[in-house]
Amino acid sequence: MEIVTVIYLLMFFFGIFFLSLFVLLTRKYFKKINYYPEPKIFPSITLLVPAYNEESCIEATIKSLVSVEYPVGKKEIILINDGSKDNTLKIMRDYARRYPEITVLDKINSGKANSLNEGIKMARGELIAVVDADSCPAKDSLHKMVGFFEEDEKVAAVTSRVLVKRNKNFIEKFQDFDYIVIAWDRKILDFINCVYVTNGPLSVYRTKIVRKIGGFNPKVITEDIEITWNLLSKGYKTKMAFQAIAYTGIPDTFKRWNLQRIRWNLGGFQTIWKYRQFFFRGENLFGYFVIQYILFSFLLALLGLILSAKTILLGLWHFILISPYFSQGFNPFYSFNIDIELTLISVVFLIFLVLAIGYYLFALKKSGAKHIGIGSILVYIFVYRTLYIVPLIGSIYKLIKGDIGWYTK
Amino acid sequence: MVHKIMNEKVFIFLEAFFIAVLVLIIGFIIGYAIESARLNSALNDYRQFEVSMLDLKLQDYYFQTIDQGQCSQAISANFNFSDKVYQTGLDIEKYEQNSQILTGMILTEKEQYVLLKTEIWLNSVLLKNRCGDPFHTIVYFYSQNPSETTRQEQAAISDTLKQLKDKYGNALILLPIAGDLNLDIVSIQMENYNITSLPTILIDEHTKLEGYQSLSTLEKYI
Repeated sequence: MEIVTVIYLLMFFFGIFFLSLFVLLTRKYFKKINYYPEPKIFPSITLLVPAYNEESCIEATIKSLVSVEYPVGKKEIILINDGSKDNTLKIMRDYARRYPEITVLDKINSGKANSLNEGIKMARGELIAVVDADSCPAKDSLHKMVGFFEEDEKVAAVTSRVLVKRNKNFIEKFQDFDYIVIAWDRKILDFINCVYVTNGPLSVYRTKIVRKIGGFNPKVITEDIEITWNLLSKGYKTKMAFQAIAYTGIPDTFKRWNLQRIRWNLGGFQTIWKYRQFFFRGENLFGYFVIQYILFSFLLALLGLILSAKTILLGLWHFILISPYFSQGFNPFYSFNIDIELTLISVVFLIFLVLAIGYYLFALKKSGAKHIGIGSILVYIFVYRTLYIVPLIGSIYKLIKGDIGWYTK
Repeated sequence: MVHKIMNEKVFIFLEAFFIAVLVLIIGFIIGYAIESARLNSALNDYRQFEVSMLDLKLQDYYFQTIDQGQCSQAISANFNFSDKVYQTGLDIEKYEQNSQILTGMILTEKEQYVLLKTEIWLNSVLLKNRCGDPFHTIVYFYSQNPSETTRQEQAAISDTLKQLKDKYGNALILLPIAGDLNLDIVSIQMENYNITSLPTILIDEHTKLEGYQSLSTLEKYI
């Protein structure tokens, strides 16, 4: 058996292992997916909104935050202007004049993590909620999140289900799909206390714990992943409220999507490297599953990239070798046909594909996305997911160059 | 520590691990069964050729005794057989390219196959001598273990020869023969026709063309 066949089999093995894990957890905890503890105390909460040049969307975000249901006097909103060059600050101040619960913090540009840390210093709430400037939490979202803090003292963070604001073109439609699947998977991992990212669009943290661990790390590009890993590594719990929804803006072009994914990948690499000492160490599944899961996700993607590159480069090499004969009348398309022969790899792949489609269909249906069928899933797997290779190459290139110190915008 | 982790949900990880192993084993068994069935089919074809080879030997004796009136019948039988062998060769080649676990298991059969094609060639030469050159023979000597450059050159040659065969049908017999399997009869024939490099095309036992030749070039010789 060739080494490439063995690599493919190993890839499928890990793919099937993770898929089986998700299926088993779904079967076991399905009835609890929509569960959230009903809050009794409603701890005071400070909503932090860092913004840099967000004049196009900050107004909608502020409006949604003002209308989020929470007991009167227990909610404050701190809008943090991170040195915007556009009208963001003006819009913030306009709303601050109209709503007494809003405070504006104006600072020089220093990045999202630093902005949040400044906001945390000012925050008076027992909880802080981080909201991206382009995201709009649903009215009842906080109501469905804060009960987790009352239920268990060890809970340090609760994240929400992020859905997209708009899904018009190809890249938006499949991000919509992506976000639904990511949210489902994240909730499933919640049942083994492995929520590995508390996302930027809406996540709530226990203020005293965040202060205790030193806040958000400005040295890591994806501060939301880093803080979650920081909390998990210290034995705290992170939860996900599947019923709490936040709508977020997404990249509308391939170029922007690529930049966002490069940023996520680089942040992922940085975080794995930072927490490498917890590999198979610690007191919870963080060191025994979360790190390995993320690492394997990258490694499987990398292997896929290497195998694809091998196929493409080999094809190119063959083309170069055979091209001298074109001028001599050789017609490469004469015998060209696509033969689909079932082989060991294709059989294992087909089994994996059928299981994956079944799982996706179930997750999508239960997430309320009934409009997505098998055709879309196939496009998602074979086209959209294949595109992930592009940002992967970009992030590896930037990593090699050491070019990882850039801001989102 | 491990006990604490064990108490926490670890059973579900073991369950997932065993399911993954089970699914992989099932996939492996099905894949292996499919590839084995295809190999058996290829081997059956080869076994059929063993019978055909005996038949060919008898034809060989027969062709030496026939008169001119029986030529068309003999030529037709020879064509049918060589075309079938050629087509089976293409199928086996395709199988070999796609197989992931059973490659390298049919070397002996491959040698027999080359011997068979050599015998068809010799029969064809005999027939041409007795029946007055009513068709062309194109023997394509190729390498079984070529460098990547030669492999691509051979791919171009095979494809062009296939075009030629499709165009001229029963006017020519096409016999691809691996020239580097260390088979005595093949080596003798290559020496006879002074074939020193692979790939080489031998047309009607007198025109020797080394390397890639275009369709129009080949057509000039037939």
